[in-house]
Amino acid sequence: MTHIFSRRMLCITGAVLSVAGAAPFATMAQAADTIKLGIVAPMSGPNARYGAFSMHGAELAVKDINAAGGVNGMKIELFNADSQGTPVEGVSATRRLIDQDGVDFVIGDVSSSVTLAMQPVAEDAQVLLLNAASSNPKITYQAGVGGFKWTYRNYPTDENRALIVAKYAAEQRGFTKFAVLSVDSDYGRSAITFTKKYLPDFKGQILSEDYYKEGEVDFRSVLAKIRDNGAQAIIYYGLADTTPILARQMIELGMAGKVTLIGNGEFNTEKTIKAAPSALEGAVEAAAWLPQFDSPASKAFVEKFTTSYKEAPNNHAYVHWDTVNLLAAAIKQAGSADKTKVRDALSKIKYKSPVGEVTFDDHNQARLPMILLQIEKGVPSIKGAYTADIQYPAK
Amino acid sequence: MLSTVLEQVVNGIVTGSVYAIVAVGMTMIFGVLRAINFAHGEYYMLGTFGAWFAVDYLGLSYEASIVVGILATIVVAYVVGQLVMRRMVGAPAESGVLATLGIALILQNAVIFVFGGGYKFFSGGYIEPISILGFSLAQQRILILVVCLVVFVGLELMVTYSRLGMAMRAVSQNVECCEVVGIDVPQVVLRTFILGAALAALSGVLTAPVNVSVYGGMGELITFKTLPIIIMGGLGNVRGTFFAAMILGIAESLVATYVGLQFRDTVGFATLILVLMWRPYGLFSTQARF
Repeated sequence: MTHIFSRRMLCITGAVLSVAGAAPFATMAQAADTIKLGIVAPMSGPNARYGAFSMHGAELAVKDINAAGGVNGMKIELFNADSQGTPVEGVSATRRLIDQDGVDFVIGDVSSSVTLAMQPVAEDAQVLLLNAASSNPKITYQAGVGGFKWTYRNYPTDENRALIVAKYAAEQRGFTKFAVLSVDSDYGRSAITFTKKYLPDFKGQILSEDYYKEGEVDFRSVLAKIRDNGAQAIIYYGLADTTPILARQMIELGMAGKVTLIGNGEFNTEKTIKAAPSALEGAVEAAAWLPQFDSPASKAFVEKFTTSYKEAPNNHAYVHWDTVNLLAAAIKQAGSADKTKVRDALSKIKYKSPVGEVTFDDHNQARLPMILLQIEKGVPSIKGAYTADIQYPAK
Repeated sequence: MLSTVLEQVVNGIVTGSVYAIVAVGMTMIFGVLRAINFAHGEYYMLGTFGAWFAVDYLGLSYEASIVVGILATIVVAYVVGQLVMRRMVGAPAESGVLATLGIALILQNAVIFVFGGGYKFFSGGYIEPISILGFSLAQQRILILVVCLVVFVGLELMVTYSRLGMAMRAVSQNVECCEVVGIDVPQVVLRTFILGAALAALSGVLTAPVNVSVYGGMGELITFKTLPIIIMGGLGNVRGTFFAAMILGIAESLVATYVGLQFRDTVGFATLILVLMWRPYGLFSTQARF
């Protein structure tokens, strides 16, 4: 008897649950006149900090756009999916956004390795992938006339970055002997590949070359080697979270003030500089954006972000905020949220971004400057913004 | 040249000390339970988080934060021990693997859920460098080394002379006989487990100042570093674990210097493969213990 009863209860519970489960779908169907935008970002794992900034940046832009009445009268609905910073999770996150949430537009990921894996997924589903923060040149080498029609990138590449860092280090600082210590990923390795391409032009020489795994915390061995081989600068294309660890261990080994960090890895944030001020003094970095960038629109963003989230935005917050605005501008220009029309509008757009006018080349790559900065007396000082036209490899 | 090698050996010994304190807890738990505790690194993470919370939120000193970190971990370990580990006495090996992997996921994600997934910045500790024998080293690293030696001498004495130590050895040799002579096996398992978790937490708290970053997933890496160590040392062998940890620490340091940093993590598993091929019972045990 009790068996029958409990089986009946199970059936009822199941039925109730399935109705409850269907409820969100009902609301989704109602909200057909919204623009569905998915964000793929590392919300957990070693790059979670980047993901949190990216989401906040995107959220802020969506909130402002919706508060102003949306785009062409349609509100933007934001969905997020965690890539954990790994290609495998990034691909399933993208699939989830496309198949379950039904998004037409995806912004992501921060890691180049993840973005490279997402490109074919977006292409197959014919969903517009708008990258906002990956710097590996290959992403747009293989986009537009290079292959993937649905990938666009609103971010400068490592090719540009490697060139201007190498040039500045050699010409302004007089460095000739370098040691490489970069993250073992598509970002870290490609930045070094391009550094090697340009370094001989400036008579630079690489004395040692090491790559660290994400999550590495012990750099003493490799730093001791660099200290002894006489390198004047460490070419570091690393992760923001590793920079304080590395800088502290440089102090520990007595290298602060003797060997300079150059490259990219958020040398310019207050927290990083505070962790190891003497090691970061004189450090040279090329970034897509930084809070000190001098333009009214950029300053207004910094202020708004800081009041909303109680911390200053980083580069990833800015680029995601900017990319949502770029997408809104493209939808407005297309006069419709139809993804094919938006894609065509993007190719022709002349978008006024806080760092200058943005247009896309035939590889769907935005023409954007890299900003060069140097840490002087504990604060970042901007040394210039450089745009370089990309020399695409002949097919 | 020689001094570089020597410096790397010193670096390796410090790294080895961190591994040793974590690994010895894992090997002791294996001794009494015959189960690899895949959640072991998570207790290392919990200890570090406890200390970070004490420094950042409660404004306590680093010394006090060591106590907070370890106590917080002991509380969690007590709950997990009561609910899960006690029940694993005599259970098949796969249930141990599944249960501890599950606990690892729960603990890791609970911490991410509460504190967020981003890196936290650990600001306590003695990070000023001092010069010893011509090497520059943070004071904290000397502290790690000293604590490691104290822990191992203490454990040797405990395992040899104390009642709990003798009970632990008895349980690791024959559970049925223990029950016959009246040893409360689940109680011994629980205590060993809490001790092991507390040691992992201690290691985490001591390492936090030099590793700077604190985050939810930090335990995973430690679990996979300690696994080869306890197998090399001979599962359940305290002294063997110490030497195995030192060997791995030094080997990693030398590989990072002379081969390349990117090959560092391969050392542990390469050694593991070699050990399993030639001495599957470990380098420091004369025969298979289990």
